[in-house]
Amino acid sequence: MTNMLEATDEAAALETLHGRGCTDGLPVVIPTQTRVSRMTLASGMDADMVLGTMGPAGGVATIEMVAVAAVMAGCLPDYMPVVVAAVKAVIDPVFDLTEMQATTHCTAPLIIVNGPARHNCGPIHSGFGALGPGFRANASIGRALRLCMINIGGAKPGESDMALLGHPGKFTYCLAEDEENSPFTPLHVGLGFEPEDSVVTVIGAEAPHSVIFSGDADDPDNHLHLLQILALGLTNMATNNAILGNGSATVILNPEHASILANAGLDREAVAAQLYALCVNSTAEMARLVPGFARSKGPDTMRHSFHSAENILILMAGGSGIYSMVMPSWCAGAHRNSASSVRVDADQFCEIPGLAARSTQH
Amino acid sequence: MRDGIEIARLGIPAVALVTQDYWPQGDFVARSLGMPNIPRIKLPHPVAGTGVTNMRYIAEQMAPVIMAALRGKPDPAEQSADKAKENPQ
Repeated sequence: MTNMLEATDEAAALETLHGRGCTDGLPVVIPTQTRVSRMTLASGMDADMVLGTMGPAGGVATIEMVAVAAVMAGCLPDYMPVVVAAVKAVIDPVFDLTEMQATTHCTAPLIIVNGPARHNCGPIHSGFGALGPGFRANASIGRALRLCMINIGGAKPGESDMALLGHPGKFTYCLAEDEENSPFTPLHVGLGFEPEDSVVTVIGAEAPHSVIFSGDADDPDNHLHLLQILALGLTNMATNNAILGNGSATVILNPEHASILANAGLDREAVAAQLYALCVNSTAEMARLVPGFARSKGPDTMRHSFHSAENILILMAGGSGIYSMVMPSWCAGAHRNSASSVRVDADQFCEIPGLAARSTQH
Repeated sequence: MRDGIEIARLGIPAVALVTQDYWPQGDFVARSLGMPNIPRIKLPHPVAGTGVTNMRYIAEQMAPVIMAALRGKPDPAEQSADKAKENPQ
């Protein structure tokens, strides 16, 4: 059972939560017993059902504890299945949550949502500004996961979360893939799920790095130039992926860039394979610039930044234009902070009359 | 949009060219700058990077629409993007 706090009114309760380090620094919705009960009910699962433990504190993530975070973050009950799936995804040992929470690197879990849950548990935005402000589901789902990481996982900046500077995605970092307009099969299908599945994929990610490319349909090497410029963003020698030579990374193609690659006959797997081949760096140059991390003292060779093409997640989202985004990663931990995908269990969802209204507001 | 409005405010005939995906932004800027009826023409999206042949085709389709707008023909937007979409390419 979750510990109860008492306060004279909601303003006092908010100050108590801020004072106890239970917030992300922004105002939260006060998780009253009634609100948490309703959010728990929406999950369709028992309040004391255990999803797992979250490091570094080793706190037990029950449905009720997750519901507390979802209420505080401003979620509608509709979002609860996605929040629960995101928590399950970061708890998966391959994600190395405990180590990731404690690292000095700036990494944050990027939540990518595929399948019908994008509409049924949202809407979760995938178009213009999907990673920016203005979309309630995106903002509050990502924030709910962060509040779980703070209040269940015990990540306190400067004490147990040792990120030297962090990045704004540590407040919230969630979007959906624009499956309807993408020329590629959806990300979750590429990961082995069925198209009708709803899936949350979580990957540790730096802040988005913009990649500018203005195509030229008359240039037969147009798509190759785009791939090269994306690879430069992914594998520049300032990234952990380049220097440590492993881990995963995310590429979010805007619709124009996705079209350039698709029109060249490339599917998602081919794009990843070509990026993998292009993401290499000179071992001699690494030894010169970052000798502390250089492993090779031998002759100069080209070293891959990733173990395989599968480590490069590719999706399409955002407005149409000349900018795509790449997110290198932390890529340390026993499992190299691998991406983790979990099916959204929306069948358990319990709609609450007058509350879970399948709102269309942002 | 801003260029078109600034030029129009100088008393010079002006028309703004806006691609389909950015049309709502054009409306917003026009309203924000107090000139909601500034003539504007909708182009298909994207135009840039689509190749010389396609860009020339769009230009040829749009030129008479632009001229009509500059001459004060009302509501040129209605006859712009759809016309250019007919590019057989």
